Amino acid sequence: MHDLVQSAVQSDTASQRSQRAKRRWTEIVRDRQLYLMFLPILVWLIMFRYVPMYGLQIAFRDFRFADGISGSEWVGFEHFIKMFGSPEFFLLVRNTLLLNVYQLVFQFPAPIILALMLNEVRNRGFKRISQTLLYVPHFISWVVLGGIIIAILSPSTGIVNNLRVELFAAEPVHYLINNGWWVFWFIASGIWKSAGWGTIIYLAAISGIDPQLYEAATIDGAGKFRKIFHITLPGISGTIAILLILNLGGFIEIGFEQIYMLQNPVVREVAEVIPTYVYRAGLRGGLFSYTAGIGFFQSVVGLVLVWGANRAVKALGGSGLW
Amino acid sequence: MAQTSNGDRVFYGVNYSLLTIFTLLCILPFVHIIAISLSSYRAVVSGEVGLWPVDFTLTAYRNLIREGTIFQALRNTVWVTVVGVVLSMTATTLAAYPLSKKRLNGRPILLWLVIFTMLFNGGLIPTFIVMRTYGLINRYWVLWLLGLASGFNIFIMKTFFQEIPDSLEESAWMDGAQDFTILLRIVLPLSMPVIATLTLFYAVGTWNSYMNVLIYIQDPSRYTLMLRLRQMVNQVNDAMLSAESTEGTEGAQLLDNLITPESIRSAAIIVATVPILIIYPFLQRYFVKGVMLGSLKG
Repeated sequence: MHDLVQSAVQSDTASQRSQRAKRRWTEIVRDRQLYLMFLPILVWLIMFRYVPMYGLQIAFRDFRFADGISGSEWVGFEHFIKMFGSPEFFLLVRNTLLLNVYQLVFQFPAPIILALMLNEVRNRGFKRISQTLLYVPHFISWVVLGGIIIAILSPSTGIVNNLRVELFAAEPVHYLINNGWWVFWFIASGIWKSAGWGTIIYLAAISGIDPQLYEAATIDGAGKFRKIFHITLPGISGTIAILLILNLGGFIEIGFEQIYMLQNPVVREVAEVIPTYVYRAGLRGGLFSYTAGIGFFQSVVGLVLVWGANRAVKALGGSGLW
Repeated sequence: MAQTSNGDRVFYGVNYSLLTIFTLLCILPFVHIIAISLSSYRAVVSGEVGLWPVDFTLTAYRNLIREGTIFQALRNTVWVTVVGVVLSMTATTLAAYPLSKKRLNGRPILLWLVIFTMLFNGGLIPTFIVMRTYGLINRYWVLWLLGLASGFNIFIMKTFFQEIPDSLEESAWMDGAQDFTILLRIVLPLSMPVIATLTLFYAVGTWNSYMNVLIYIQDPSRYTLMLRLRQMVNQVNDAMLSAESTEGTEGAQLLDNLITPESIRSAAIIVATVPILIIYPFLQRYFVKGVMLGSLKG
């Protein structure tokens, strides 16, 4: 009796399974056009995103064009051993990390502060004009922004030095060939380009906060700053967390164009970072496998940081990226 | 709120002032560069130019036109941008629509295939080697294909599609329309804000792109505006550095004979920027909405 029930249950699940498979198949047939739409993207993803990842194995080989990616000689961790033993590599990692930390400390909060300020503006005309103008630098290329920065900082004809000389009777400063000033202008230019645009997402988040919270706080006698710190900031903390994770993903992947535009050999000690070195030594210098290894190191650290940040945000009760 | 307390009044005063300063800081460098491009070389070198041209002249623009290469670069950039945007928008739409359908079997796998490329990539060197293997060096196809679709933009569009009520598509489905038809006839006409937003993003991205052109395009006659502009910036820089390091009258003479003076560089900067500034206000009202939609409910 017991056996009979058991086998009946089993045959039932088996038929259910086959039924489910059949239903899934009809669904796939029904959605065939959707799959067809995605097909070109799938091919593209594989050819232009995943094949290069497969190509990362040259970091473990001695790549030569004649032998191809999978035909070049296998050398194991040779490049990585060389890498970790070279003082050059530590310079690159140090600069990349430091510039990223500075960006995180100064550039990341800038749009949050700016959004909080814009949110307190009651004059709609002022708000619209100021937003429109603040977004402009985001749409201008680093080549142009770099050109402008070089022009206004020039020690002989730049307006910044002219003002210095006129107002304070100070000596003109070669800003872009001085290590400390270079870092300052690098960060400042980053804020210039990204702060205004970054406010969009925070302003959207702020507009989602329940206005009743502010009314209640006003009745309780809370001032402007208390409302900002106890209602607005907690209200957008989820958005801040998500952008922080995304930022950490770009953490070690510092923008090539920004740094390349402002760089010069004199400030190499603070300005040479992984991407610019990979470009110069790898592409221009022909050290393909060695620099592919450095790039690999960079990508892996970036991935680990996103993963870690995502877990941390989730552990703290927020909703992560995935 | 009828009464404004003293504290609030100070708060607003400071807030408006700071915002005004920030906004001006954002925009004044551009005004200054325009002023330089319209000023005489003497006025520029003696540092008289602020926000208004001194000794107004169009020489810089005339020289730029006479030199000529900037027009070839401009033509190249327009071509690269127009084709690039068409290809990118097509690809992004085709990727986003299936991903927006929760009923699709295997959707999580497809989503992760896209997300993973946003978190990890092969890097410069392997990508270069693969593109060389494909025979794409020195062809614009490498720019179009490498920048074909961005994961972020796919997600913005996917989120927008998900906001469109299913009932519209279901009734079309009942009438016998297939997915391609529904996308073309029903979904896309409703998606103008997101289409405008992403068109602007891709157009600006391609127009401004420098790194990929630097790496993959080696034939100078195929250079884009940004490459050409960078060359001019460097020329001025090198000339200035050598003139500044040469003391006395000889140095002054060198400065006078600069092939590409400050004003021409400024004129080139303006030429490269103006097209974006022209389309920007028209698309602005769309993109704020588009970005908000895509980012919040992703």
